[in-house]
Amino acid sequence: MTAPITPPLVRMQSLHKSYGPAMQVLKGLDIEMQPGERLVVIGPSGGGKSTLLRVMMGLEKIDRGSITFGGKPYISSDGLDKKTNIDTEVRRSIGMVFQHYTLFPHLNVVENLILAPCKVRKERKSDATERAVGLLTRFGLAAKAKAYPAQLSGGQKQRVAIARALMLDPKLMLFDEVTSALDPELVAEVEQVILQLAAQKMPMMIVTHDMWFAKNIASRVIFCAGGVVVEDGPPEQVLGSPKEERTRDFIDRVFHIRQ
Amino acid sequence: MALDFSIILRFQDALLLGLWMTLKLTLICVILGCTLGFLVGLARTSRSVMLRTISGVYVDFFRGTPVLIQLFWIFFCLPLILGIELSNLASGVIALTLYMGAITSETFRASLKSVGPEQLDACIALGLPRRIQVTNVILPQAVLRAIPTLLSNCVSLFKESALVSAVGMADLMFVGQNISNNTAQPVEVLTIVALIYFIIAFPLTRAVSLIERRILAKLAI
Repeated sequence: MTAPITPPLVRMQSLHKSYGPAMQVLKGLDIEMQPGERLVVIGPSGGGKSTLLRVMMGLEKIDRGSITFGGKPYISSDGLDKKTNIDTEVRRSIGMVFQHYTLFPHLNVVENLILAPCKVRKERKSDATERAVGLLTRFGLAAKAKAYPAQLSGGQKQRVAIARALMLDPKLMLFDEVTSALDPELVAEVEQVILQLAAQKMPMMIVTHDMWFAKNIASRVIFCAGGVVVEDGPPEQVLGSPKEERTRDFIDRVFHIRQ
Repeated sequence: MALDFSIILRFQDALLLGLWMTLKLTLICVILGCTLGFLVGLARTSRSVMLRTISGVYVDFFRGTPVLIQLFWIFFCLPLILGIELSNLASGVIALTLYMGAITSETFRASLKSVGPEQLDACIALGLPRRIQVTNVILPQAVLRAIPTLLSNCVSLFKESALVSAVGMADLMFVGQNISNNTAQPVEVLTIVALIYFIIAFPLTRAVSLIERRILAKLAI
């Protein structure tokens, strides 16, 4: 394989993270992500998938390791003191959507969308509102612009949450089990929106339990278990004919296949 | 025994004056007490150990002692310490404000805590600076959640304010007691006074449950 000409979009080196001595969640993760890749992370609960995304967003401290974004280091810890250094400017290029929507309940949909652009980027309210309405229209939510989160269905809330993250023009999107809390009939509308982003070449990293969705959206799949990367490859390989025993067990179980 | 409620007509001006004093005192103490309670609530959730300790001792003291004793203490001891005579109203305002501040600080503290950690996650993921996280996300939600309990606190204060009659302030209770002593008709007079308190407090308590339902419906995520 020839070396890529452009630097990797994300490079994680030796990420270590534990909750106390007995709970090591990340045991030295090394992952590189190329521009344009759509990386799906699968694996058993407690395997460190969500922690990985939270670490990338700077929501969790790390014990050791570093992450660069577009060649720029933005999260690092040398393991000596308990400090995790985070470059917030670089981190602002990353958007994240959570399992439980985390919309601001006291603000209506448009206000949710324009808060960060107006307060962080000092964008004019009228400009931000115009962009917000544009995004909502694209996601089929134009009629809900003035609604409060409590008046929306789970699927609508999650689409608003995605739109809110996109308002900051992220260069990478992180999706942390964004359909896990949804009623089954609402899953598709959220996945459609993410597929729409994928079609526009938005780089993304997705943690999901939905193997159908993983197969449809991934350009590469990583199987994470016990705090390490067990298998890493194209979706046909990892989801279709995994090389590793542990991956095969997991895939068999989630697809309910008994041979 | 024949009850004669017509005496209310003879004393209605006095009763209205007393009611006016009660309402004035309550209103002033609601405004000052809620402000104090808000600041103390913030202090109790702050990172500074000193702020947390001082505010904690204050709240525990005022929640753990009878309001009547607090009133007496402010009326009789504060002038000795400060060396100045305080008017009845000033002493009443200080005492009930300190009491209201302690009670509402707990309300604010609970509502601040009720804003979940996932809201902070969302703030960080959106790159919101700390100041914006507090002023635009945490505080508005906390204050909204606090409103029903704060209204209950206000109704309590309105009723508790009757205690200032014990130190000679001419509020509704004081006027009622005086009339009752002079006319020797305690049953009628005190019943009427109770009714006046009820007529004002009852709509407020109903409003509390109405507002509570509205706010909870709006904030349900």
